[in-house]
Amino acid sequence: MDNEQPKTSVTDEDRTKIRYLTPEMCKIHVGTHGALHVTVLNDRIYGGVYAAYAFPVEHAAEYISLMRSTGSGGPDEEVGLIRHLEVFPPEQVALVRQALKRRYFIHTILRIHDIRWDHGLVAMDVETDKGRVKFLMRWQQDRAVDYGRDGKVLLDVDENRYLIPDVEELPASERNAFTRIVFW
Amino acid sequence: MPEAKSVLLNVDVPAELADLARAEGVRVETAWMIAATDLNLAGSYEPVYLVAEGERLVTIARPKAPGEKAVRETVPRGEILEIRTRQGVGGGFLEVRVADMYVEMLAYSNARADIFHKVATKLKDWLAGQTPFIGPEDDLDPRRCPACGMPLQFKGDVCQKCMKGGAVFRRVITFMRPYAGKAILMMLLVLVTVALALVPQQLIRLLTNVVLAPEQAGNRPLPFGEASVWLMWLVLALFTQVLLSAGVGILTGRLSSVVGTQITYDMRNRVFTHLTRMGVDYYDRYNVGQLMTRVASDTEQMKSFVNQLTGGFLAQIITLVTVGIVLFGLNWQLAAITLVPAPLVFLSVMIFWKRIYPRYHRVWDANSKLSGVLNTILSGIRVVKAFGQEPREQARFDTSSVKVRDSFRAVEFSVSTFNPLVGVLFQVGGMLAWFVGGREVLQHKPGGLNLGDLLAFLGYLGMFYAPLGQLTQLTNWLTGFLTASQRIFEVLDTNPQIVQVDNATAMPNKGSGVTFENVVFGYNRHEPVLKGISFEIKPGEHIGIVGKSGSGKTTLINLMARFYEVDEGRILVDSVDIRDLQLDELRRSVGIVLQEPFLFRGTIYANITYGRKDATTDEVLAAAKAANAHEFIIRHPLGYDTYIGERGAGLSGGERQRISIARALLYNPDILVLDEATSNVDTESEQLIQQALLRITRGRTTLAIAHRLSTLRNSDRIIVMDGGKIVEMGSHEELLALKGLYHRLVKIQTELTADPAFRMAAEMSAGEKKKEE
Repeated sequence: MDNEQPKTSVTDEDRTKIRYLTPEMCKIHVGTHGALHVTVLNDRIYGGVYAAYAFPVEHAAEYISLMRSTGSGGPDEEVGLIRHLEVFPPEQVALVRQALKRRYFIHTILRIHDIRWDHGLVAMDVETDKGRVKFLMRWQQDRAVDYGRDGKVLLDVDENRYLIPDVEELPASERNAFTRIVFW
Repeated sequence: MPEAKSVLLNVDVPAELADLARAEGVRVETAWMIAATDLNLAGSYEPVYLVAEGERLVTIARPKAPGEKAVRETVPRGEILEIRTRQGVGGGFLEVRVADMYVEMLAYSNARADIFHKVATKLKDWLAGQTPFIGPEDDLDPRRCPACGMPLQFKGDVCQKCMKGGAVFRRVITFMRPYAGKAILMMLLVLVTVALALVPQQLIRLLTNVVLAPEQAGNRPLPFGEASVWLMWLVLALFTQVLLSAGVGILTGRLSSVVGTQITYDMRNRVFTHLTRMGVDYYDRYNVGQLMTRVASDTEQMKSFVNQLTGGFLAQIITLVTVGIVLFGLNWQLAAITLVPAPLVFLSVMIFWKRIYPRYHRVWDANSKLSGVLNTILSGIRVVKAFGQEPREQARFDTSSVKVRDSFRAVEFSVSTFNPLVGVLFQVGGMLAWFVGGREVLQHKPGGLNLGDLLAFLGYLGMFYAPLGQLTQLTNWLTGFLTASQRIFEVLDTNPQIVQVDNATAMPNKGSGVTFENVVFGYNRHEPVLKGISFEIKPGEHIGIVGKSGSGKTTLINLMARFYEVDEGRILVDSVDIRDLQLDELRRSVGIVLQEPFLFRGTIYANITYGRKDATTDEVLAAAKAANAHEFIIRHPLGYDTYIGERGAGLSGGERQRISIARALLYNPDILVLDEATSNVDTESEQLIQQALLRITRGRTTLAIAHRLSTLRNSDRIIVMDGGKIVEMGSHEELLALKGLYHRLVKIQTELTADPAFRMAAEMSAGEKKKEE
């Protein structure tokens, strides 16, 4: 009984090493209930997998982790890490991209139509990749945080996320209007 | 299933979609719960409905293309092992566990997270075979403003949207009420100040037209002696005006200071008192630095309000109106001409404040970031040096320093350009007055402008332009003032989450047994840390709590001391719910020794008596002796009167801990809580602390968290936690015999401590820590 361990597919020794997934050793596919599955050669089929960026800002196209929950409140385990997604077949790339899109529900701000400060709240009317959105944000430093060198992630009162990848890339009038209020 | 009355958990499915679903075998009218989400599983906005039927879960949505089905996903109840919500980034998922994997049933944005947390709770009951109750109360959300529906940061938070500027202003006025008499006096003095300021120009006018150049005004030249007397009286009048102005200035300044500083003092105390009433949860959500700013800086804005009443905008407005009337009274045509640049002055200053003033914010931001970088580098200088990263830190500092330089430069460039340009506009007004007025003086028209009038006019003109420029800053001051006031009222209006109920009962004092009954709690929304914890501690029992990091051990203690309120279930002390107990008595009954003991700046004696100022010297000595602290305290040159610095600087970790134990011992609590009390000290200190703990826990109800399991060996019972649940409970021997998680943890620790390399590393680490301290 002393040697009994919880049955997991990853041994304790494996936990200390990154397992890089390559097209030669694994296949990413859709399995039962439309869930994302990863079949790893000489290992097993992992179901209910989700994708997460290791470096969402610096290396958004690389280092994508495929994770799965082990169940009953235990910690999630990493099936493996994809170093370069593009080396996978297009249909598998598409599946990973879909999984990433599901996990990261972020509006990318393309234009700022209007921004107003009103006693501790910032009202914004913006054009995003998901359409035109109006939202309210608390005027606090932790509600507009740095993203990379010149970007900002804004969190509205519902904690929905809005990304400005590069504030300097906004048209001058919009950039000035934005930085006049979100000056940090 | 009970009749569903909730609006959010019984939404109406569009008729067309309901028909399509019905055609595919899903009858929405018989579902016991229907909830709508705003996202589809592709991560795009789309209305998707979760339909909970008696024996299955179904998601439906309007088909996007011909041939597509309305039913997106179906999972029979029999296949579902678990239901949960999982947080993504900007949204989340409702998931079901089928076989060995979690299946995403639907996705939602964070705007819907509250709803689907409730949905998951109902579905868990349904899965467990219970009958979920769905009623109108499910539509209530204490984390939303009842008036406007805006999400609040936490339960009891103040809605910023509903707190309007006007209301803020009115409330500031109410704070002035006790000083109404002084405020009225100050305003009267302002009127006197303005009236006195008008006098010199009139005296100069008289001096010119009667004494110095009477001919140009059509007056008879005075003989030298008479002119000298006039001159003496006029100069004396000017001197009197100067003296009176100075006197009124002194009086106004002092009165303003008395009222302003008193209001600030009142407000600062009020805010601080309120902050001390707030629960620990409040400090989890707010940055301490921000709160310090509110107490220290924002309250200072109250003084600015008084200053504005005396020397600021009120005085400027009165001056502007009065001088304007005098100017037009002297010569309305000239007044009209010289006021031509006034709108330009006003406009340019407005532009300045709108365009240039925000750059000051960037200066402030760059400065605060520079301070942050400097603080980080200097605090971590040992690490910087150990890794030889001085050049890298130099570069990091330089980047921040360049930003400060550039932001300052940008502001100063603008200001140094703006001020002279506005000066030119002012000068244009004066030049126009000189030219047009000068011509009129030269023409010597009867009843026309004379030299004295012109000089007085020019004097008044200067008095007119000065407040005009300053008044344009009114909006800016008002915005800053209202923002600061709002931040203060936001603190004052936030109700503490932990409050004592009316008619709270005294501590039963029956022996301090503690019971946790199905306690559920989470620090963040939808993320429970404790998931249905139930256990009982008998009076005088010693309970050890073990588990991995993040398993919820410290949370148990936080709830025990009622630093936080349980989300579900209850905690009883001697069969009384702790929410019904008097809060100070409860806190008086629970003594806590933390992993990182917090000592205040002050003497060792003051720190030991922190919880009991009435303790006698003998009691203090006894407590310190029992805590194995007496000997090291005596070794200090100043003994118990040794002054220790911030957070106990000057003492080692073990010494700090022993003082905190003495403090707890003197407090003599019924229930003692030890949170990793010995994990940060070397073996020798640990031994001394363990001896002290053994003395003070004897016969006292004790909850002890420890990573070093050997320290809990003598506990009556040990609770083993994992993932927010109790997975094992029993004595050391019983748990070893179980061969479960506790057995595994003990085995790992035994193997580690048997490893000489580990033992040496642990000793070195503790020794190093001691040395650093």
